[in-house]
Amino acid sequence: MEETTSFNLPKQTHDIFSVMARGAFISSNGSRDGMNRLYDVINNPENFDRLQAYFNVIRYNIERGNNFFYFSKLSEPNSELEKKLERFERYIDIIDLFASMDNKIGIGSRFRPSEIAEECNANVRLKQKLQKIPLYRSETLHNKVREICDLMSRDSFLELEDEKSESYKVLDSYNYLLDVINSVAIYEESGSSDDTQGIIYN
Amino acid sequence: MSLQVNVKDLLSNLYHNRGVVELLFGQRDHITVNELLGRDDISEEQYRKLVSLDILYEYENVVSLNDAVVAMFEDFMEIGEVTPGFINDYINELKRHIKFYQEAREMRFLRSIKKYLKRINSTLTREIIKLQKNVDDTYKNESNYRIKLQKLEDYREKRDTIIDFIRQTTTIVDETRSLFNITNDSELFGIVSSLKVSLIENLDFLIEIQTDITDFINKIQYQLDVYKKAQRLKEVKDHGTLHFKTNFREIVSGINTLKHNGHKTPKTKIPIDFLYSDDGHVLCKRIAEKYKITRLMVRGLADKMAGNFKDQGLVQQIKLDTEKLVERFLTQTKLNLFEYLIEYKFPKAIGTVTFEERLSLFVEIAMEYQNQLDFKYRLQYHDYIEANTELKKRLGYTLILPLKEKAKKEKAAK
Repeated sequence: MEETTSFNLPKQTHDIFSVMARGAFISSNGSRDGMNRLYDVINNPENFDRLQAYFNVIRYNIERGNNFFYFSKLSEPNSELEKKLERFERYIDIIDLFASMDNKIGIGSRFRPSEIAEECNANVRLKQKLQKIPLYRSETLHNKVREICDLMSRDSFLELEDEKSESYKVLDSYNYLLDVINSVAIYEESGSSDDTQGIIYN
Repeated sequence: MSLQVNVKDLLSNLYHNRGVVELLFGQRDHITVNELLGRDDISEEQYRKLVSLDILYEYENVVSLNDAVVAMFEDFMEIGEVTPGFINDYINELKRHIKFYQEAREMRFLRSIKKYLKRINSTLTREIIKLQKNVDDTYKNESNYRIKLQKLEDYREKRDTIIDFIRQTTTIVDETRSLFNITNDSELFGIVSSLKVSLIENLDFLIEIQTDITDFINKIQYQLDVYKKAQRLKEVKDHGTLHFKTNFREIVSGINTLKHNGHKTPKTKIPIDFLYSDDGHVLCKRIAEKYKITRLMVRGLADKMAGNFKDQGLVQQIKLDTEKLVERFLTQTKLNLFEYLIEYKFPKAIGTVTFEERLSLFVEIAMEYQNQLDFKYRLQYHDYIEANTELKKRLGYTLILPLKEKAKKEKAAK
């Protein structure tokens, strides 16, 4: 307690640390465990500077995205490239699935896995996409979607809003994935017709 | 229509059924008649009365509040749908009364002018606040993409309408300045000047809202664009050329999130000292239960006893008794734990139990059986004479009563 007051840090500093050091994002529209409140605390410019300075001492850096925050490690090499590639390839599969749905899932969307499974069942193209997403052992479409949702909420891109009805909400941190995808440039043989690649990278 | 015209009657009816009104306002369109009557705060008769008074409506077994009542609450709370149409009505009324006043300089017209100027002022502000709230809410919570875009476009239109009204009001106020000057009415002057200030403020606010709406629409558009990109990436990936035809590798290697780089949460060891504390003991116990280490559980208990009791032999006998002792204590209601232990007649086999031993028994029971005891967090005092020094002493102890359920039952009985 003493330390927190002398550094003039907000009293939620520990909560912020314990969420972000776990590798999770803090999104402005998250509601579990007072996430939106934590977001507001970090987003306050005075707090932000203090927290940043404080965490920098232990080599964590707060990264700011579009309505979300996360930690990166200062002066430590980013490792495990192969694993990372694998993971992001999987994200591409998942986002491609989400993008191909009639009722597009975007930030703030609420949905139930059964709804997605239902749509995939009715649409052969979607069904194939879902079945081809690797690394899942589940047999039924519904369980597969469930696993995807589970994975995405563990990575704090989704939030299980209501356990009874199994309803998920897409958090602002989803922007992070979109930004990553947006920053990938596709080299075209026939000149570049669209230059969508931007540097929205943090 | 039998809706009360009397303000007092209406208010008292609403007040008497405030629980129901609050519930129905909070959960519009969800409450069925049976659900409502299942609650304690309204009887069938009262319900019929409210329906006959038109405060409640019943349609296909769903109960709803009178729209006028809902609208009133919404107005006060500045929530609900944006309805700029009202402003238009007020502006027209204002124009009409100004015309009247120009023809006949009568106070009654001036009064109406004031009324409508005030109304325009407050309604504009309210509508703009509602607009802001709704735009934000739509962006954050509307799940369907197309509807979301459509809604935001609608709000953009409403915003334009409101701006138009602001312009109209400004022109009216400017045009009638000379007329208002003639009236020499200080109240009117105050109303007009505050209206002017708030018109400028509101215009600024609307511009801000406009940037918000544009921003939100752009974000959605961005998402749609990225989705297209994702689909193309997926295509490239399916052709097996993701690593060659794009800079995917490069981008991913630059990713700096903790999770994706395998940076683990720093793990700390539990300090040994903590394990000796009360919280530490609870933690140990939980772990012992989880892994079914009975040895650890037993030792946890025994350790505590050893600290409390002088005579080891006596300890074990008393320990065997503790549970029954507590059971007996829980079944009675007359005494609190401390008194009970001090008064308790132990079996002769144990021999005499000294005051100190009873005291440590008190502490032990308080700690071991805390879940079954009702801690009052109030001190009571006990006077006694210390055996060795024969000094009069006073001891403060926490008031501990049997089990909460009992207390509840007792209360219910009363």
